[in-house]
Amino acid sequence: MALTRRSYWALAVGSLIFRLILICFSDDLNLGSRPEVATPVTSLRRLAEGYWLKNSSMSPYSGSMYHGSPLLLPVLGPLTIKRVEGLPSHLFCSSIFIIIDFITAMLIRATGQKLMSTNHQSLQRLNLSCVQETTGCTNVGDLASLIFLWNPFTLITCVGSSTSPIDNLMVVLAIYGACSGLPSLAAFGWVVATHLSLYPAILVIPVILLLGYGPDVPPSKLFLLGKSDESGSDYPSDKTSSKQRSKDGSPIYLFSWRPALCFILWSLIWSSYIFFLSFISLKEFGGLSEMMKKTHGFILNVEDLSPNIGVFWYFFAEVFEFFRSFFLIVFHINILFMLVPLVIRLRHRPCFLAFVYIAIMSMLKSYPSVGDSALYLGLLGLFANELAEMRFSFFLLCGYFGISLLSPVMHNLWIWRGTGNANFYFATGIAYASLQTVLIVESVSTILKHDRMLRNKLTA
Amino acid sequence: MPAEEDQTKQPRPRPRLIVLIASYLVSHSSIFSVVCCIAGLIAILLLPVLAKNTYISENALMPGSANPVFSGQDVSEAIRLVKDITEMRKMGKTTGIEIQRLIVQRMADVGGEAYYHKFQSQSNQFHPLRFFSCDSNLVLTKSGSNTSYGLNTVGIIHAPHGDGKEAIVLVTPYNGENVELNDALSLGLGFSIFSHLSHVSWLAKDIVWLAADARYGEYSSVSAWLKDYHNPVFFSSENVDANMQNTNMLNGRNADVFKRAGTMAAALVFKITEKMERDSRDSLNIYAEASNGQMPNLDLINVVHYLAVHRQGFRVTIGKIVYLVNSAWLNLVGQILEWSNKLAKSLNPKWNFGILSADYVEGVATLASSMYYQALGVPTGSHGAFRDYQVDAITFTFSPRFYLNNENVQSSFLLRGGRLIEGTIRSVNNLLEKFHQSFFLYMMTAPNKFVSVGVYMIGFALLALPLPVVAAALFLNQKATGTAGIQEAKIAFQSWKWLHAARVVLMIHLWALIASLMPYFISQISNLTATESMLLWVVGSISILLVLYMTLGSPYSRSGDVEWQTLKAVMIASVTIGLGLMSIINFATAQIGALLIVPLCLLVRPLKRHMQGALSLRVLSLVCNPILVVIGFPPAALVLVKGFSEGFGGVSIGTVWEVAEFLWAWNSATYLYVFLVHLPCWVLCIQILFHP
Repeated sequence: MALTRRSYWALAVGSLIFRLILICFSDDLNLGSRPEVATPVTSLRRLAEGYWLKNSSMSPYSGSMYHGSPLLLPVLGPLTIKRVEGLPSHLFCSSIFIIIDFITAMLIRATGQKLMSTNHQSLQRLNLSCVQETTGCTNVGDLASLIFLWNPFTLITCVGSSTSPIDNLMVVLAIYGACSGLPSLAAFGWVVATHLSLYPAILVIPVILLLGYGPDVPPSKLFLLGKSDESGSDYPSDKTSSKQRSKDGSPIYLFSWRPALCFILWSLIWSSYIFFLSFISLKEFGGLSEMMKKTHGFILNVEDLSPNIGVFWYFFAEVFEFFRSFFLIVFHINILFMLVPLVIRLRHRPCFLAFVYIAIMSMLKSYPSVGDSALYLGLLGLFANELAEMRFSFFLLCGYFGISLLSPVMHNLWIWRGTGNANFYFATGIAYASLQTVLIVESVSTILKHDRMLRNKLTA
Repeated sequence: MPAEEDQTKQPRPRPRLIVLIASYLVSHSSIFSVVCCIAGLIAILLLPVLAKNTYISENALMPGSANPVFSGQDVSEAIRLVKDITEMRKMGKTTGIEIQRLIVQRMADVGGEAYYHKFQSQSNQFHPLRFFSCDSNLVLTKSGSNTSYGLNTVGIIHAPHGDGKEAIVLVTPYNGENVELNDALSLGLGFSIFSHLSHVSWLAKDIVWLAADARYGEYSSVSAWLKDYHNPVFFSSENVDANMQNTNMLNGRNADVFKRAGTMAAALVFKITEKMERDSRDSLNIYAEASNGQMPNLDLINVVHYLAVHRQGFRVTIGKIVYLVNSAWLNLVGQILEWSNKLAKSLNPKWNFGILSADYVEGVATLASSMYYQALGVPTGSHGAFRDYQVDAITFTFSPRFYLNNENVQSSFLLRGGRLIEGTIRSVNNLLEKFHQSFFLYMMTAPNKFVSVGVYMIGFALLALPLPVVAAALFLNQKATGTAGIQEAKIAFQSWKWLHAARVVLMIHLWALIASLMPYFISQISNLTATESMLLWVVGSISILLVLYMTLGSPYSRSGDVEWQTLKAVMIASVTIGLGLMSIINFATAQIGALLIVPLCLLVRPLKRHMQGALSLRVLSLVCNPILVVIGFPPAALVLVKGFSEGFGGVSIGTVWEVAEFLWAWNSATYLYVFLVHLPCWVLCIQILFHP
């Protein structure tokens, strides 16, 4: 599993070149119109429309076309209208997305290196470095960034002209900033990600935990166990190993308030800044309230019921109007319900908690796309050492392959051939959601099993 | 592992029933797969017995409830047009646009809107990236030097009771360059119906009559017209031919302007052909298969069949494979079925399925033809163009029992044909919605018998069911044996060990993708015969495979990494996904493909490893594997099928290339299946066979 430095860079650059090749065929592939790739919130076509509306001094949100942030318009808008003869449209935007993907991969790599060093330290402190030797240690940063770069989902999101690479970058930026103890960076990533797609707001919990406790370590009980072991109390332990144990058993599991407060402060600053900028750009078109209604309100109200790979559209196309608000609350609260139990169980591994949150988010989003899956599948690689014992890995891979091939076919059967119906397509959506559920459940239980294994090693 | 030991020490909770059943199936996977495969084969052979009689599902159709009023007067119109055309032919004026002008003039005379539709003959070009994308974003190729134009003539009658939002399309293809008598008769029939419908009062949907100029093939002319009908093309002045411009004025209106009626409810393509062998009754041949195994709604076929048989006294036939009717083993199966039916009947008189050997053989031959044309994925006529726009359409050809140049025969024949079409139009005219009541997924076993999706799925499902079970069994066995022997240090990533096998499978699939795109590049090289192209293709594919082996590593170089059981498990999983996908895209292909590939997948094992078990089993495995490998190789299977049906004389290497070219030119998904599912699986099977 070990990768030399050279082969890593070769693979990384190879993925970028592969993207460039794909972009040359992007007009033929026509991925931008696929419901799996571009959602109403992230579609670049809609962004171009919004830019055009704004340029002709209308509100970019008029006509329910554009639902993204007003700040993306001046950044990406000019690039959408720039054309080169003989080359595909959106060439410039796509090249921007390539760069963004690369930055994201590098941030994931840096996060992975941080995680690895912390893991190494804490295992040494527990005197369990034998675990690392026996299980073998993968360079998780390299692995995760390569998984992210070569994931077909990332590739088609990058080529398929949707703005989700930017969302992903911001989420990864928040996690990276929190991992390396930079409250300002973490706050920036979190605020912008929330501004762009609302759901990353729940990442505030893992980010604060990361800033407060530092990156993932084994549960705090183990350190206490290790200490009490060392003092030679009631635990019958191996004498030889206890002698080797280092004296570095200081209580590391203390919440440091300073970076957390810094983070909150910085978030306030950044969000007021973002609001200010949005206000300026939307001064004549209804201001901030219009923006909130058309971006976050659009996400929460599920106004667009065009089919996508999620589970919302089918249900809200059927539901009676007077139950609608009730079920909206029920559907959205699903995400919030899971936050607290997970944070209690996984508070010692905030990075993994962030991964679980992102996976849940992309499953229960109102407008999910494969770009969201690309993010959490990339992050999954960060925990390769802990997840080495994961069950159903083969089944999951086959499932992801099968569903991602089946979903366009079912869509074709329904929309173009007319021999299928909405149920066919929704069935793949359900299957996709259950696949993600299996992934989340298995990964969480594997992590818990890993912790239990460490505990057994310690007490044995 | 201590954690695992802890778990085993605890009293195990009773596993759930589904887990019990699954583990039972996995542990008895070999017996299970044998039973399933045999059951699947039997289910497929029994399909003609399980076929149901067709029935008209949509009540609004009401076929035959009104008396046809198509009369001798209309027939005389038709005869008049036929005479005009034949005279024109005698004078040698048929090469230009005289016929088109005549038709347009007649259409305008009876009060229809008429116009010319000029189209470019587009040879089907293989474009690898446009396999499934819709046609709407196709850019018209810039007219080169050798483009040739055809000229369709189209007439529209606006319904007196309609709102102009729906239309029924009639199509009569004819060869514009050389009009034979049967072409003239089809045109006459089409025109007489058109003129008849122009003065009926019951019409609620517009009628569009397309006299398709089939000099470049029926399909291309119809599809060109349909494309223009659905995608407005804005003609610039250079597109309109200068010498045509001044001639196409008709009654003071420009006859070059493309006119439209409403959305199409249904389309009927009909033509008259002269049959070689004489029959006791006039016959009507129905073709329904559109691209990629799509079928029109069964109700449309039912209406035509009902009216033809019960009102007009035609003999309705659909295609069948004659080779099978005479085959001895099929007759034997039929006799066995008939005999077992008799036996069952003697045991209990209620068990009467009414199977006759002859019926069964006939049913199998028809079903095989239906399946073959669906699996080919190439439309059997110009009705296929309509299906691309979700319009239900069928082609039917009339063949009279006597020679066509007899005038009495002509008029009585035209009268009945016209009444049939009138009745069908009346039925479709009654429709309130699109066709949706009856089946879209079916196969025909006789003109009035069909097998619906719920029945024919059983055979395929039984064939495909062993695949996941065997994959799971291999995977679990491999894991169990793997963990036992190796020391603890290697246990980590045990659950990810299949990744090595997955890499090999992925590499082969990558190769298959490249190999499937290669014809595109080969076809760019001009002046190559089919044999040369084929050889180039084979050499290219093999060299790319070798290059991939060198760069990404051969599967045998680190044989310790890739156990053949894991490789087989991953291969079977990929085949399962592929077959499942194909069964949705084009069921018939998946069915035939499963028959070829499933036994190979299940039986394959390394030749060098000795199998435990009885001698007979070992011999069976030794004999079966090579045979299956030969049959499973797509070109070999193709050559065998061609050879048996047409004789081995005409078969050469070039045949494979021609068939591949034919498939990709028609955007058949079968091509994709063969190259992205079947071929990689075959290559992997070869790898497993020669696994050290």
